[in-house]
Amino acid sequence: MNLQQDNFLKIADTITNPYLNKTHKKIAGYYCTYIPEELLDAADLYPYRIRATGNENTDLADTYMVRFTCSFVRSSLNLALEGVFDFLDGLFICNSCDHSRRMFELYDMVVFKREGFTKQVPRFYISLPHIISEEGFQWLCNEISELKDKMEKAFNISITNEKLNTSIELYNQNRKLLRNIYNLRLLEHPKLTGTEALRISIANNSVPKEIANKELERLLNYLKERDPIDIDDKKRVLLLGSIVDNMEFTELIEDSGAIIISDNICFGNRTIVDDVKVENNKNPLERITERLYYRLSCPRMMDDHPRRLEFVNQEIERGKIDGVLLQRINNCDLHGCDNMLFEHELKKLNIPVYNFDRENFQADTTRLTTRLQAFIEMID
Amino acid sequence: MKKNRAIPYEMVLNSIASTRELVERILPKGEIESLKLGAKCIEEVVEESLEKANEGAPIIGHHFAFQREYLYCFDCVPVCIEGTSYLLSALLPDGVERYYDLMANWGHPFHTCTSQKGTMGMTLDDLFQFDAIITPTAPCDNTYASYPFFEYENIPLVLPDIPFLHEEKSYNYYGKQIRLALEELGKIIGQKPDYDRLKRHIEIENKVFPLQLDLLELRKAVPCPVENIFNAIAAGVAVFASGTEQKLKFYEEYLEIAKERYKNKQQYGKEEKIRSIWPYMLIFFDLSLCEWLDREIGMSILFDIFNYNFYELIDTSKDLDTMYYDMAKRGMNYPMMKESTDFYYPFIENCIQMAKDYSADCFIFTSHIGCKQFGSVPQILREALRDEVDIPMLVIDLDVGDKRFTSMKIIRDKLKMFAETLM
Repeated sequence: MNLQQDNFLKIADTITNPYLNKTHKKIAGYYCTYIPEELLDAADLYPYRIRATGNENTDLADTYMVRFTCSFVRSSLNLALEGVFDFLDGLFICNSCDHSRRMFELYDMVVFKREGFTKQVPRFYISLPHIISEEGFQWLCNEISELKDKMEKAFNISITNEKLNTSIELYNQNRKLLRNIYNLRLLEHPKLTGTEALRISIANNSVPKEIANKELERLLNYLKERDPIDIDDKKRVLLLGSIVDNMEFTELIEDSGAIIISDNICFGNRTIVDDVKVENNKNPLERITERLYYRLSCPRMMDDHPRRLEFVNQEIERGKIDGVLLQRINNCDLHGCDNMLFEHELKKLNIPVYNFDRENFQADTTRLTTRLQAFIEMID
Repeated sequence: MKKNRAIPYEMVLNSIASTRELVERILPKGEIESLKLGAKCIEEVVEESLEKANEGAPIIGHHFAFQREYLYCFDCVPVCIEGTSYLLSALLPDGVERYYDLMANWGHPFHTCTSQKGTMGMTLDDLFQFDAIITPTAPCDNTYASYPFFEYENIPLVLPDIPFLHEEKSYNYYGKQIRLALEELGKIIGQKPDYDRLKRHIEIENKVFPLQLDLLELRKAVPCPVENIFNAIAAGVAVFASGTEQKLKFYEEYLEIAKERYKNKQQYGKEEKIRSIWPYMLIFFDLSLCEWLDREIGMSILFDIFNYNFYELIDTSKDLDTMYYDMAKRGMNYPMMKESTDFYYPFIENCIQMAKDYSADCFIFTSHIGCKQFGSVPQILREALRDEVDIPMLVIDLDVGDKRFTSMKIIRDKLKMFAETLM
């Protein structure tokens, strides 16, 4: 079976999908993995991770965002301005980075004010702490609790603990299934490529989890039985950095003589390695917050670089990694500086590292391919 | 006795002292008075700081958005990370390009803010030896991204967390964060916060506040009695001298000059033809732009972001919790912090109101490559100004601390052409 042709996974290639048309639920768009998806699900919403897969045009968005802003965010704004995200019934934003946090105002003042757009779309904002501390955790608990109240009011619903517990189970199961699939990449003879893993993760983030879980189980069973991939002439790499919502990018890496064995990216390990605890006595909202706050972080968490490095080292060992690819979307200061530190730290450990920037849409492919091939050839 | 731990401060002292000497000797009375007064103020404070550093007082690096006066609860030398980069970029012949390049070679991305890049490069070059660095977790991605470098260089980093949105709960949270941060900083440098001392320095700032408001009020006059370069000098004085008697004196003396000009309807430079508001920063790598606009173009810079945002007074007469709450409020309303920890709505409303109150003819928006937090506002602001007060806004893409990104010639050409369309 060619995973690219799998009906469920084809969802990863497009922004919209048949489930969006069929659903009776309100669709809640969000940008960042720091949005508590379990809460959205418990509110009987359809959580939809906003992305810009395949889009190369930012003409409309460039009017509203200066050229120093991230091309992923500009690209998604362009789609919004074209009306592609008109199916959204709610928008959830947090202060994850300077580029995406301003989507709150831009959707409000421009996207939802477009001529002919009459739908009232409630918007929600969470203020996340930038450091990990007990006080920060308490702050976030209050924020998430307030968010719940606001959602109940906006959508005229009641989000009970029972519903939250059901969503926690659903999401833990989802993360477990994805982890099991991702673990098949770590094998000496992997069962899937990095591109296939990314495709699965993106499709998973585009549909409600009760549907995703059935599909993931099916895919997991298939992959377990599948013949290993021939990787004799390929180098095993770890991919870190900015969001990747475009399979063309990972294909380019894997066509250059590498196979992506593991990652720390948004549509990847960053969202699946930590579960919500089920065994303790805390209320479900607090447990959701606990996972959100203490999970594998992105560089927006200012004091957490050591823990991210620890994860990188762990994955290097688990995946028998030959080299590390540090990538960032141009103008991403957060990943740019985090990668800068990783580069120095990993070089001290004699781990081959290649640190580069790119645009969200695949551009300048020949130059990038040559540079990637050169790096991969240099690995012993 | 420890020495040479703040070499860039010696560079600041030497360059500011020679600048002051030059302007005092060459320029007649009434010409660029703010530069004369500001240079004197900064020179005195930096000289005192260096003496203290040489005596062995700990050197505490701080973000410009962490108020300098708060660090006076310790016997220490506060060094502003961003201020040092940009003051030297203005004063030295090639700015601090050498240090930008050092950091760029080390892997610091080209698009990340030069205000930090310069001091990071100086630290890498062993010119600074900080005992600790304190920064709020704001106002921008550059702060979260760049400061961990100092930790990599084994400098203890203290991070009072600052929330998004201006609400009571935010001020309470940030107030507690400041308290915890100062206590942590004290442990690192082996001192306990001296609150009496802190109060004294905060009270000096409380006295500065009404003078700043008076100056702001005077700028409503046509012609504007405040010279353009005052805006840049005031920003320098804020980051190098806040909490000191020298800053108070700077404002007292300059206010008298501005009042005199106002009384005589006297203008500075050429006839005022265009009144501009710079809602964001000025250009730091070449301050002669301010004089060129005053003298050649006749364009007044009524104020920039560092000169229209004023914080509230801090009540030092009550308990510590009240003081910390007020300190948080001041911190969150500091220039750039105010805009970065809130939605754009109040910023846009303020700009429209300022355009009306100050009879502005136009806005000039310096779109600095480092500032992604402001990257989504120019067009929205431009549309609001057009619709509400019918005035145009020029946007210039640049790096306010590095002439190699957009040269001064290009900037002047753009401003000149824009000015011609207005006249």
